[in-house]
Amino acid sequence: MSVASFRWTTCRFGKRAGWLAIGLLAAIMLLAVIAAPNRALAHAALVTTDPADGAVLGQSPTQFSLTFSEPVSPLVLTLVRPDGTPVALTSFRLSDQTVEIGNPEVLGAGTHVLSWRVISADGHPVGGSVMFSIGAPSAAPVVSEAVDWGLRSAIWTSKVLLYIGLFLGVGGAFAIAWLAKGGRSGQRFAIAAMLCGLVAAPLSLGLQGLDALGAPLAHLAQPVVWQTGLGTSFGWTVLIALMALGLGLLSLVGPRADSKLFAFAGLVCVGVALAASGHASAAEPQWLTRPMVFLHGAGIAFWAGALAPLGLAVRRQPAEAGLFLHRFSRAIPYVVVGLAAAGIVLAVIQVQMPRALIDTAYGRLLLVKLALLIFLFTLAATNRWKLTAPAEAGETEVQRRLVRSIGVEVLIVLAILGVAAGWRFTPPPRALAIAAAQPASIHIHTLKAMADLSITPGHVGPVAASIVVMSGDFGPLDAKEVTLVLSKPDSGIEPIKRPATKPGDGTWRVDDLVIPVPGRWTARLDILVSDFEMVKIEAPIDIRP
Amino acid sequence: MNKYLLSAWALALGTGTAVAHITLETQEAAVGSTYKAILRVPHGCEGKPTTAVRVQIPEGVISVKPMPKPGWTLQIKKGKYEKSYQLYGEAVTSGARELDWSGGSLPDEFYDEFVFRGTLAADLPAGQTLYFPVVQECDGAAERWIEIPAAGQNEDALEYPAPGIKLLPKK
Repeated sequence: MSVASFRWTTCRFGKRAGWLAIGLLAAIMLLAVIAAPNRALAHAALVTTDPADGAVLGQSPTQFSLTFSEPVSPLVLTLVRPDGTPVALTSFRLSDQTVEIGNPEVLGAGTHVLSWRVISADGHPVGGSVMFSIGAPSAAPVVSEAVDWGLRSAIWTSKVLLYIGLFLGVGGAFAIAWLAKGGRSGQRFAIAAMLCGLVAAPLSLGLQGLDALGAPLAHLAQPVVWQTGLGTSFGWTVLIALMALGLGLLSLVGPRADSKLFAFAGLVCVGVALAASGHASAAEPQWLTRPMVFLHGAGIAFWAGALAPLGLAVRRQPAEAGLFLHRFSRAIPYVVVGLAAAGIVLAVIQVQMPRALIDTAYGRLLLVKLALLIFLFTLAATNRWKLTAPAEAGETEVQRRLVRSIGVEVLIVLAILGVAAGWRFTPPPRALAIAAAQPASIHIHTLKAMADLSITPGHVGPVAASIVVMSGDFGPLDAKEVTLVLSKPDSGIEPIKRPATKPGDGTWRVDDLVIPVPGRWTARLDILVSDFEMVKIEAPIDIRP
Repeated sequence: MNKYLLSAWALALGTGTAVAHITLETQEAAVGSTYKAILRVPHGCEGKPTTAVRVQIPEGVISVKPMPKPGWTLQIKKGKYEKSYQLYGEAVTSGARELDWSGGSLPDEFYDEFVFRGTLAADLPAGQTLYFPVVQECDGAAERWIEIPAAGQNEDALEYPAPGIKLLPKK
């Protein structure tokens, strides 16, 4: 085979590989869209449990149920007996937002703990426990709910390394292929970053599995941990990120002719990988958030990736770097506008209320990120509008300043990536607000009458109550009047009594209601069945702070 | 927020318990005897004048006759009893189930009485309390003196207890 035909073959092969890569990419994006759950709201919050937390039951329940603010899948369900021995609960049924768990054994007297760990659409596991007693409370068994800081640091580190691989590595490869005009400065840096990412990506999958199962770091080698990690939506992120890293590497070390194609596909994969999981991607409306996360991620990769190759090019070969600098500075304003717009849209969706910026850990991280961004934008703007033109003209002193400034920019970008990785552990205010808005609901059942009462939102402050009354045997009950009486004898508050109105949809409503303090209230319904007969039914209801 | 302030606020919102209830003057009677019921109405509904008083006749009180009252329209709602009663050797199966004085106006600051008589059937359980639920209607408001204590419940705990009499053994 002649040299020429060999080159032709590689060239053809490279082209084919390029088209293959694009086809594969389209298939993955399609899959990701199909696989994306329709009702993803992110970061599930526990709404009610049966038995209720702190309940004292007369006899062993046949089943438990946990109701969340959105559909979840259970990862680990454990019942801890009063003597501290755990029982794994394996039989459960999902019905909408409720997990119904079968109780395999008759429980003895004493305090039990139902410990749960579930995962929802954003791929972030959440856990908690419910304590209840049979007969009478005993000393509560010890359940470790402590945060595993070792695992958390490992997750955070792997996340930062993955970001470095995607943004600085794949982004760097894109800049080298598309902007550097044949220059190869920063190639080794980008390759090193991508290798970092290649190590971090699979590792983060295992760590995700550990977090999902609530297992310690020592269990990393167990296959079930990896299966669990892969089963979460983060599994998609890792798979697509691995493709992005592979494509980025291919664009730098593969056939030159197709380097642009590979680099572009890699950049697209970075956006898709980020859009596949995480708080922001799981937020509603999905048609808006997923494309916004894609734009944001691809934009960051374009900008952050170009910094190191650009800085190194200006330092080493100022003469050839002029064109690189020119192209970058021409494109960057548009990229930053798109990046910032997508970021603002996502921040508004996630934070909702300006107060949440200060009140929540998520909001505080966002403020830190914004402060770093302002610093970064100032530097970038100075570089773009003050230093670029003289540097392109060949002023060596300005070129040196530009290189230093770009170095600082890279450091700030790293700090921002570190902050962004911290969001992995903080539910966004949006999810917290969804949890807070959930109603407090009870079902009161007596021989004479029964009722479903829900107070929305189920926390202190102005609320509305909705009541459905039925006869004791589930028949219709056409009450003449219904009065809601809320009392909390232990707090010295006299009963709050409000007549309910009939909006005409078969329910009774009380609108002008304010609940002053949280805790266990007694809800009583006075149902006037006929002119001379009133049925009073009551049950405790828990009001959140 | 201040706890006392909260309590005061809640107190102001919650309806205070009624100071005086609608009661019967004679609070005990022997089964098998004739009983003259005098319903005492000490006030209106939340300051408004009383415009109607309705009494439900409990099962076992037969041959009921209300006393007319000047200024009030008197109505008797009749119905079937749950079973047949013997009165002077005759079977009685229906009679007054509800008495209804309406169309009057009894200001909140005045007191009045509403009277009826009836026979307490001989087979009513002596030792127990027999309740006469009363609905007091005012202009656009109503107070329902219809609460009957559950087994073991203290009558004082009720907000609007139905007036009642203690049944004594047959003389």
